[in-house]
Amino acid sequence: MKHIFSFLILFFSLHLQAAEGISGLAVQDAGRIKPFDTFARESLQLIHGKDTFKMEKGNQPARPATEILMTWLLQPGAWEKTPLFEIRYGELKKGLKLPSEQRHFSYAEIMGADRLPTLMQDLSSRLQAKEKLDPYFQAVQRLESQLFTFREIAAGRMVRLVPPKEGHTWKSVAELDGELQEKFMAITQAFVPLLGVVVDPSSSSDRKKEVESQFNGAVEKFKQSARAENPTLYPPESRLDLEIHYNHFHPFKWSWILYLLGTICVFLAWILGKEGFYKPAWIFVILGFLLHTYGFGIRSYLAGRPPVSNMYETVIWVGWGSVLFSMVIEAMYRWRFILLAGTLVGSFCLILADLAPVILDPSLQPLEPVLRNNFWLLIHVLTITISYAAFFLAFGLGDIGLIFYLKDESKYRDRLKAITLAIYRAMQIGVSLLAPGIILGGIWADYSWGRFWGWDPKETWALIALLGYLAVLHGRLGGWLKDFGMVASAVITFSLVIMAWYGVNFVLGAGLHSYGFGAGGVGYVSVFVALHLLFVIFVGVVRFGRLKK
Amino acid sequence: MFKKVIKILASLKLAVVVILALAALISAGTIVESRLDAQAAAKLVYHTWFMFLTLGTLCTVLIAVMVDRWPWKKRHIPFLLAHIGILILLSGSWITHKYGLDGTMRFGIGEKNRFVTVPATDLTVWYSADGDRYTKLVEQEVDFFLKSPKKNPFRLPMMEGELVIDDYEPYVSASRNITPSQQEKVGSALRFQLQNANANINEWLFQPKQGQGVTNQFGLAQLSLGIPADLKRAENALYLNPKNENEVDYVLTYRDPQRKPLKGTLKEGQNFQTGWMGLEFKLLRYFQKAEEKFDFKKLERPTELSTSAIQIQFQGKTHWVQLNDVLKLFTDKAVYILTYGNRRIDLGFQLDLKKFEIGRYQGTMRAASYQSLVATPEGTETLISMNEPLKYKGLTFYQASFQEGPDKEPIASILSVNYDPGRWIKYLGCLLICLGTIWLFYNKRKAARAQAPKPGEL
Repeated sequence: MKHIFSFLILFFSLHLQAAEGISGLAVQDAGRIKPFDTFARESLQLIHGKDTFKMEKGNQPARPATEILMTWLLQPGAWEKTPLFEIRYGELKKGLKLPSEQRHFSYAEIMGADRLPTLMQDLSSRLQAKEKLDPYFQAVQRLESQLFTFREIAAGRMVRLVPPKEGHTWKSVAELDGELQEKFMAITQAFVPLLGVVVDPSSSSDRKKEVESQFNGAVEKFKQSARAENPTLYPPESRLDLEIHYNHFHPFKWSWILYLLGTICVFLAWILGKEGFYKPAWIFVILGFLLHTYGFGIRSYLAGRPPVSNMYETVIWVGWGSVLFSMVIEAMYRWRFILLAGTLVGSFCLILADLAPVILDPSLQPLEPVLRNNFWLLIHVLTITISYAAFFLAFGLGDIGLIFYLKDESKYRDRLKAITLAIYRAMQIGVSLLAPGIILGGIWADYSWGRFWGWDPKETWALIALLGYLAVLHGRLGGWLKDFGMVASAVITFSLVIMAWYGVNFVLGAGLHSYGFGAGGVGYVSVFVALHLLFVIFVGVVRFGRLKK
Repeated sequence: MFKKVIKILASLKLAVVVILALAALISAGTIVESRLDAQAAAKLVYHTWFMFLTLGTLCTVLIAVMVDRWPWKKRHIPFLLAHIGILILLSGSWITHKYGLDGTMRFGIGEKNRFVTVPATDLTVWYSADGDRYTKLVEQEVDFFLKSPKKNPFRLPMMEGELVIDDYEPYVSASRNITPSQQEKVGSALRFQLQNANANINEWLFQPKQGQGVTNQFGLAQLSLGIPADLKRAENALYLNPKNENEVDYVLTYRDPQRKPLKGTLKEGQNFQTGWMGLEFKLLRYFQKAEEKFDFKKLERPTELSTSAIQIQFQGKTHWVQLNDVLKLFTDKAVYILTYGNRRIDLGFQLDLKKFEIGRYQGTMRAASYQSLVATPEGTETLISMNEPLKYKGLTFYQASFQEGPDKEPIASILSVNYDPGRWIKYLGCLLICLGTIWLFYNKRKAARAQAPKPGEL
């Protein structure tokens, strides 16, 4: 036991130090300069579906992406037979006659598939005809970019490490010559013994230190020469370090853990009536919220813009908004359950963002031309999505309310009154943000395209969601919707928000907001919506039965 | 009686029904847009009588509910603002719809244009007895999308007989087809394959006319048909020249001046090693006399490259015409020219595209920005970019998109042109809605406070 423990510590420290060296090299990729650490994680994520690599057999611990990428560069042939490429789409596995129970396949297996060339040809003819791709060909396209990325990295063409003396395109490893090439060779030469030490647990710690310092020294020398090529293009050390810190520390993970702790405390304080838990709950939530804000801040700084340009970023932003609104309303009424709903929604959003990197792509991407240099267009996105946060909070409150209706309506009458009121407040916040948000969208569409309202599906669905909530608010005013009606409609109407937020991009896939388009997860989201609708119906039926008696 | 009607119209239940009906209607519109396209959604949902009826009812309800609250008190102000705001917004939109202009202008690089293209389509037929002077026989707006000629063929009397449009396909893709020809003076065509371990090019070379050569650049080499070999140029080039009905002569030159050109003759199915990076050349098809035809494939749904087409019957012959294309019909006595296309509106002045630029994200082909340098008739030059339009003579010109050539180089800039007399009315409406909504909910806060249970009671 002691042995394993000391090994783990040793391994961890080694891993960190090795990563420190190579991680901080700047790479030009996908339109921006990023640290090698990010480049390696994103590439491995694309190809393997995870940002670390673990052998399927044996007890080897998972290897960091930087190390894996170095071995691709060094000895791509060694990866020929390792199951590295992730294929998730079952139909594609069938199409390629690959075993359907497997998730990862080796390069040799995929290239050996008879139908691969025809599929690739089909894909390119579809792309040439500018057809909309169905899920099958979206999967083919993903496989194509996986294979392409692997080949290009292995050949060194995609690893652009040196800024050019003139122009903007950086020089790749394959294009290096003279002194720089030698210095890069020195890195690879120092990497081989490092890898040997890592794999062999019996090597002494002195040996390890020696090997590490050699490796890090080689990296540092290369970096200095690369920077000297064009110091103005090479990013400052602090910026690279900050991004590596963002990758390693991953503030959103800590923030959802804190939210969950907060949830547990509020729950105890409220359900068991243990007042002592209320204060710690606030502390956890505030700490979580600060980390959430910190992470969002770093991301804004790294991207140079408010990060709300894809699904991943809006999910994080909506989670942030829900927690913020719940804290504000909770501070007003101190009803406990508002904070409960807020932390539940907040941690749900952040966990979702962490769990589904294939659907919710966490990589930082450059903006499409329409969104660039347009502060106000981003403001309209921020306003609309933050209104979704308020509706999400109402939805969470609605779920809590439904549980009380299921338990005992007459016993919890006061609580239900309070929940209804809180839902009403959340919907008011949502509507008074969504209406101006849609209008801002119209104004900036008018400003950049000359069209105030063009029935673009994204805007139209935001309007449908607004109409839905307006119908609820008017129904309440007219006496159609009482407490149960409000609780039920908080859950039901949120389906419209899901459609506007997720469905337009992932299900409809049409319109001018194409920069946010993606694929995947439709099944899960549909089940989520359907289960909630069924839950509402179930509670409604049970309640109707009870009232009849 | 009046009061009774107002009471019914002002009821919240009716309001909820109208709101939900509107939501349902426009959600259907988005589904149509996703299955077809934006234009189909506009024609089938957004600009239909039932849409106008729903919006009309909404306006009636809004007016009724305000009349119902008469005499107005101070507390009604936010309620009135929000509701009047919607009415003003809708009337502004109506004015835009009725009197506004929304079209596009396409400029090739360095070209001038004075016409705005709008979505409405027109059919025009010109007639000439001598092939020199033409008279306009027909000019009328047509909408075959909504009124398909399949059921009710569209008949036009001509000088000789009748011209019938009896089919319309909203989405077709035109594909080029090269076939052997019996006609004189047509050029040759051949299909080849260039292949090595990394590349596989499979293309046609087509001479539109006899004596008119054609050259194409394929990666590192240049291939030409009907051009005599230039042995002095040290380039990787392949010169193909028709020899007879079955054979083609070829001359292959190299960039390296030391290497000798390669000469020979090929038949269909024969191949040779080019010596360019292991590429093998194979002649797949060869027609000494060939012509180019367009085939239309019907599509279920549109793609970016699809277009619409109509079928025309005239003097016992069938013709297909694509949108924005011209058809020439010859009879024994006369020539008819038929055009079917989007309406073009003359601006009364012309704009001149001086320059078009694309900014790309570093190290990629991804567009980061694009902009057009445009000169007005007075010679003033303005740079139009995303979010930075040109305002001129009451019109606004926006950078909408651009077109790329085969090598991803830009070949044309597309501007959208807009005249919107309802703009400020809509903005006023929006302002009132926002003010009203926020004020309304701010007022409700007091009422909510009063109802709220104390935390201790829960």
